Amino acid sequence: MTSTAPSCLAESLNEALGQLMENDESVVLIGQDIGRLGGVFRVTKGLQKRFGPSRVRDAILAESSIVGQAIGMSLSGLTPVCEIQFDGFIYPAMNQIVTQAARMTTRWNDDLTLNLVIRVPVGGGIRAVEHHSESNEAYFAHTPGLHVAFPSSPSDAAAMLKSSCLLGSPVIFYEPKRLYWKRKRQPRELSEPVSALSARVVRRGSDITVVGFGALLEEVLAAADLVASTVDVEVVDLRWIAPMDTETVLASVARTGRLLVVHEAVGFGGVGAELVATVAEHGSNHLRSPMRRLAPPRRIYPPADYESRHLIGVSQIAGAIEEMCT
Amino acid sequence: MTDAASRQNLGSDDGTRGGQPIEMEGARPFDVMEPVDAETRRAMLRHMLVARGIDDEARRLENQGALDLWLSCRGQEAAQVGSATAVGDEAVIFPSYREHAVAVVRGIDAVSLVAQWAGRTYCGWNPRRHKFFPYTLVLAAQALHGVGYAIGRRLKNEAETVAVYVGDGATSEGDMSEAMNLAAVESAQVLFICQNNGWAISKPSQEQMLTSITDRANGFGIRSWSISADDPDSTYLSCLAAKRYVETSRSPGLIELRTTRIGGHTTSDPHTSYRDPEELAAAVANDPVMRYRERLYAAGVVDAEWLESVEAAVDETHRELLKVFAS
Repeated sequence: MTSTAPSCLAESLNEALGQLMENDESVVLIGQDIGRLGGVFRVTKGLQKRFGPSRVRDAILAESSIVGQAIGMSLSGLTPVCEIQFDGFIYPAMNQIVTQAARMTTRWNDDLTLNLVIRVPVGGGIRAVEHHSESNEAYFAHTPGLHVAFPSSPSDAAAMLKSSCLLGSPVIFYEPKRLYWKRKRQPRELSEPVSALSARVVRRGSDITVVGFGALLEEVLAAADLVASTVDVEVVDLRWIAPMDTETVLASVARTGRLLVVHEAVGFGGVGAELVATVAEHGSNHLRSPMRRLAPPRRIYPPADYESRHLIGVSQIAGAIEEMCT
Repeated sequence: MTDAASRQNLGSDDGTRGGQPIEMEGARPFDVMEPVDAETRRAMLRHMLVARGIDDEARRLENQGALDLWLSCRGQEAAQVGSATAVGDEAVIFPSYREHAVAVVRGIDAVSLVAQWAGRTYCGWNPRRHKFFPYTLVLAAQALHGVGYAIGRRLKNEAETVAVYVGDGATSEGDMSEAMNLAAVESAQVLFICQNNGWAISKPSQEQMLTSITDRANGFGIRSWSISADDPDSTYLSCLAAKRYVETSRSPGLIELRTTRIGGHTTSDPHTSYRDPEELAAAVANDPVMRYRERLYAAGVVDAEWLESVEAAVDETHRELLKVFAS
């Protein structure tokens, strides 16, 4: 990490996309309003001017056609990076992602490199209208053949985007909306992940492991600070939802003896359930107290006036940590 | 079946030359008027006989339990071989899942073709080597891939023609409409080849659509044609003209090949329970493979010795399929 690191997610992704396109002619961008407008979140701002309309392609308003054509472009030797405008609009592309992109390499008897990144602004907390605040990572994590990236910081997002373009298999790349223009961040341990696809310990501690990812990691770190006088909290940034680096989590739980998983998507059938089940199967001998998940109940994401009640906040996380450690 | 009979194009009177393309809808007449040469006709008959031979053996193997399922292209060989021959070796083909005779034209052997129906793989051939991409079982999904591929090759300054095969049933899928719209807007070098065999499993064409497939293509701004495709010669010539249109205009085209499904949708489909016996009997009687064989033989384009050599090759194919899948 350098001192010149961009200060918010939108800027860092914009810079990363620019570098990717600069260094690799095969990289093309496809998405609704990403060219003239620079994207509804301005992540692709200025890129069409710089690289031209044939490489920064304003897509027809049809998500299945965005992903479907990108699969074909990838088969033709390009590295398409798609933008789905909002999390809740990815469903029309679901068939192309799940029955086609995810299975293509297997269908080709593994004799295929399918470079394909699908960027998806994700999550709530921005007073958005219906379908604009979803966290739907579990659907994609459940689908073999997909990588699911879920960065929590601008510089890490840039690094993860670059590795996503080189993976040779499709990536659902989540971008937490709350971080797009957020410049203030909790301090973190400057440890590098073991590999590009690893989770990362971002705060060292000895009493409890709290795993989070995406925008909510900021709240987790704030909660860890809040209880610091009584509980020494270790925080793991999961980074990739699939494949999931359970090794790093198991190693952390082996040190702390406690596990709390926090996420913004509903808890039922979610990422936290998978992680808790894995630790139950492979690390229960390390546990000093029952594991817990902290996530919204299985309810439709509410209108903006009610979203703060739906979302997990700092005080809830701090409360759960204290309950588990006393 | 007078309607089907009227759709037949029996070519020139002496039978030594292939027929002319017919029944252009919504477009000016094709400018390809040359006859089909004898060598091309022999190659097409050979491919049709080989495809039929594979179909015969695959059906037997399925019946014996050696294959899990088989999707017969019986009755559609003229449409498939005529169109694939016109498409040529250069274009990349994005097939649906019944294009066995197209695969034969592309040099894919019987064992490779049948392997996926025996549960051994999801694609038995090398897609790049044959420029024949894997079968796509989710209808019309491959139409978008084909358009994206054509756009991608153009962006790489390596423009090449793409052929996308779909069936009449698949045209109801949203992806087909999205693909046609995208191809039109992007002026993608794609020839959509729609085999209309009259059935989406048990749903007849007239209950699937109020407007024709070609009308819908026109609505998206795509040039389209509809032809009877029970004769390989006229199918070849019409598809050749359609492909030339796509290549010279560098824009998409759609050709509807009206054809006939002699078998069920799959070997698990008891199609006699929903098909009119007379319609089915006419379909069998109008078998395009037998008719073409008889025509070329009568015209002296092929002789008994030639037919025997093809039959010997088909017998060898049967033995290979038996060896690999029934043992």
